[in-house]
Amino acid sequence: MTPTRSMVHVVDDDDSWRTSVQRLMSAAGYDVALYESAERFLAAANLDAPGCVLLDVRMPGLTGLELQQRATESRRKLSIVFVSGQGDIPTSVSAMKAGAEDFLTKPVDTDVLLRAVERAIARDREERSRREQVETWRSRINALTPTERKVLDLVVLGKLNKQIALELGTAERTVKWHRHNLMQKLELQSIAELVVMAERLGLIGGERPHSEAG
Amino acid sequence: MRSSMQGATAHVFGAVAGICIYTAPVAALAQEARVLILNGLDPYLPAYLAIDSAMRASLAGETARRIVLYSEPLDAQRFAVESLEPETLALLTKKYRSLHVDVVVTVTKPAFDFFVRHGDRLWPGARLVFHGLPDPGAERPVVPPDAIGLVNRDDFRGTVDLARRLQPDARRILVVGGTSPLDSELAQRARQVVPPLAGTASVEFLTGLPLPELLARVAAEPADTIVLYLSQFRDRDGRPYLPREVLRAMSDASAAPIYGLFETYIGSGVAAGSMEFYEDRGRLVGKLVRDVIAGKPIPPGDAVSSVPSRCVADARALARWSLSERLLPSGCEIRFADRPLWRQYVWQIALTLAILVGQTLLIVALIAQRRRRRQAEAESQARFSEMVHMNRRVAMGGLAASIAHELNQPLGAIYNNAAAAQILIKADPPKLNEVGEILNDIKQDDRRASEVIARIRQMLRKTPSSVEDLDLNEVIGETLKLLAPGAAEKGVSLHADFEPRLSKVRADRVQVQQVILNLALNAMEAMHEQHEGERRLVIRTCPASATEAGVSVTDSGAGIDSSMLPRIFEAFATSKPSGMGLGLSISRTIVEAHGGTMHAENLPGGGAKFRFTLPFASAGAA
Repeated sequence: MTPTRSMVHVVDDDDSWRTSVQRLMSAAGYDVALYESAERFLAAANLDAPGCVLLDVRMPGLTGLELQQRATESRRKLSIVFVSGQGDIPTSVSAMKAGAEDFLTKPVDTDVLLRAVERAIARDREERSRREQVETWRSRINALTPTERKVLDLVVLGKLNKQIALELGTAERTVKWHRHNLMQKLELQSIAELVVMAERLGLIGGERPHSEAG
Repeated sequence: MRSSMQGATAHVFGAVAGICIYTAPVAALAQEARVLILNGLDPYLPAYLAIDSAMRASLAGETARRIVLYSEPLDAQRFAVESLEPETLALLTKKYRSLHVDVVVTVTKPAFDFFVRHGDRLWPGARLVFHGLPDPGAERPVVPPDAIGLVNRDDFRGTVDLARRLQPDARRILVVGGTSPLDSELAQRARQVVPPLAGTASVEFLTGLPLPELLARVAAEPADTIVLYLSQFRDRDGRPYLPREVLRAMSDASAAPIYGLFETYIGSGVAAGSMEFYEDRGRLVGKLVRDVIAGKPIPPGDAVSSVPSRCVADARALARWSLSERLLPSGCEIRFADRPLWRQYVWQIALTLAILVGQTLLIVALIAQRRRRRQAEAESQARFSEMVHMNRRVAMGGLAASIAHELNQPLGAIYNNAAAAQILIKADPPKLNEVGEILNDIKQDDRRASEVIARIRQMLRKTPSSVEDLDLNEVIGETLKLLAPGAAEKGVSLHADFEPRLSKVRADRVQVQQVILNLALNAMEAMHEQHEGERRLVIRTCPASATEAGVSVTDSGAGIDSSMLPRIFEAFATSKPSGMGLGLSISRTIVEAHGGTMHAENLPGGGAKFRFTLPFASAGAA
C-alpha cells in the first residue's frame, strides 16, 4: 500500500526553475509534480504519496506563506521546504514558526537541497505512519462497546479494578473481563502500551482536570 | 447777407495789408541811411579793425533802413592834418557835395576836431557820433549839441590793481611810454594816476627811450618789478614805432611781467590788464548809430559815456613769468590758454568719461552677470542631471529586493540544471540528450540574467540624454518587468492597459523608464495601507491628442492629501517619512524637458491618477 517512490511537489512561478528542479529531482530518484502557482497546487495536488513541497515564497496570487497557512488550517500537514528568490529574515522566521522543514535561498547548493528534500520526505513518512497508527487505534477504539470504552478511560487514569467496579456499580470480576476484552480488541500487550496510545489519541489530557477535581 | 459782407471786408483788409507789405522795402530803399566813418588815424590799426568789424556787424542787424557806410581816413599820426586841410576840405567838399550824410562817426580826437571845425559845411544836417576821444580824466569833455559818443577810459587803476594782485610782493612799478602826442598824453595821465595807486612800490617812468636802450633797461629789471607799458609810437629821437612791435621786443627781453591798457596788447606780450574790449566798443558805437538814425532822443547826461573795462590775461605770458592764474579776479578772461583740450572742456570731458565709464561698467557687469548666469545654469543643469541620476539610483535601490529575486531565479535554475547534468552524465549510459537540453536551458537562463543586469546598468548608468524614437508600450513593458517582483512582494497587482497602435514618441528611453518607475513606486507606497486584495496599479497608454501620447498611472490608494495636491510636484514636498520628495519633481521636469506635461488628480472613487504626455515622433501621425 505504501509506495516506495516519494513525490516532490514544486510550486514556483518561474518556468525555468521548475524545469531545472524537476530534472534534478528525477535524477535523484524522486517523482516530481510541478505547479506554477499556489492556487494550482491546492486545486490539483495529489498528496497520496509521501513527499514534500518545494515552495516559492513570492508568487503572483497566493503566496507561499499563505499556502502554508491554509494547509495548517485545513489540518493537512504538509512537509514544506521554502525556496525563495530572495530570503529575508522576517519571512524565514515566520515560515519556520509555521512549521516549515527548511528555508532555502536560490540558488541552492544541490547537496543542501537534496538533503533538505530527503529530510522533509522522511518527516512526511514519519508523520504519515504516525497518522496511520492513530487511525488504526482510533478505528479499534471505535469497535469497543460503551462499557469497554468507559473501562478504558478509567484504566488510563490509573484507577484500580476495585475502584472502577465501584464507579461503574459492577463487580470487580466484570471489570477484569472488560479489560481483557478491550486489550484483545486493541491488540495491545501491556498497560504501558495502552497509556502510550491513549496519550497519542489525546484521551488522557481531557480527563486530567476531572481526576484532580475528584 | 451779413456773412458775405464780412467776407468782403476781410478781402479789402487783406488787399491793404498786401500793399503795405509790398511798399515797405521800397520806402526803405528811398531812405537809405548814409554813415561816414571819419578816422583821425590809420583805420587799419588793429584796434580800429576790431572796432569797425564789430560795429558793422551791429549795424547789419538794422532792418528799418538800409545803412550805407563811407570811410575817410585822416591819418593824423603820420601826416600834418592842419597843413593839408585846404586840400582835404576841397576833396571832401567835392566828394560829398551831392551826397547827403546822416551820421558821421568820428574816430579819435583829430577826427572829432576836424568835424567840429568843418562838419557843418561838409555834411550839413549830419549827426555826430564820436569815439576814441582821449580819457578826459576828471574833466567833463565838451561836445557839440546833438552829438553822442564814447570817450576812452584808460583803466590805470584796474590794471595797476591787477598787476599788484598778481605780484603782491612787487617793489617797483616801471611805466614805459613814448613821445608822440598820443604817447605823451597817455604818459601825462599816467604820471598823475599811477603813483597814488602804487602803494609801497616805487614808480619810475621811462619815456621815449630808443628801443635798444629800452630793452637793455627792462632786461636788467628784477623779476618782481611791474612793467606798465603805455604806448610808444615815437622815441625821443623821433624814430617811429608800432607800439605793438615795441611791446613784443620788450616782452622777449624783460624778466619782469609787462602789463598794458589796450586789448591789442593782449597776445603781443602783456601778461594782463584791465581794458576796454574793442568788440564791446564797436557794438556800442553801432548801437549809438542805430539810435541816432532812428531819431531817438538823447537823454541829458548820456551824450558822453565809455566802454566798461574788463580784465584780460594772456595765459602764455602768465606762464612765461610764472604768474598764477589763480590770483586773477574771478571772471577775468584768459586768452591763449594753451590748455590741453581736457582742461578747456573739463566738464564735458568728465561727463563724457563718466558716461563712458558708467557704460563700460554696466557692460562689464552685464557680461559678468551673463557669464555667472550661464555658469549657474550649467551648474544647475549638472546638478539636475546629478539629481536625476541619484533619483534613479534611489528608485533602483527600492527595487533591490526584486532585482535580487530576478537574478536569483535564473541563477538558481542554472545551478540545478548543472547539478542534474552532472548526475545524468554519470549515469550508465549517460543521458546525453537530456544533458543537451539542460545546456540549452542554462544558456537561456544565463541570457535572462544578463538581460536583468543590462536593464539595471542601463538605469544606473550616467548617460547623457539621448533622444530616440521609442515604442512607449515596449519601454513601459520593460519597466514593468523591473517592477513586477516588487509589486508581487507588496501584494500589488499590476495591470497594463496598452493602446496597441500607439505611434512612437520621441524621448530618452532611460528617462521615460525613470518616470514610470517613480510614479509606480510612489503608487505602490501609497497603497501600503490598503487591504492586500485592493492594491491595484494600472498603467495605461493612449493617444492624448493628435500630437501627443498619454500615459496614466492609477492606484487604488487613499489619494493625495488635498493640501499637498497643489504642490505635489515641488521638490521636497513629501508625505512619506523616508522620501526626499524629489521623485515627482524630477519626473515632471523630465517630462517637461521632453515637451510634455504632467498632472496629478484624485479619483472620485478613491486613489490617485498621474498623467503625462510625450510628443509623437512625427507629429500628426495617428
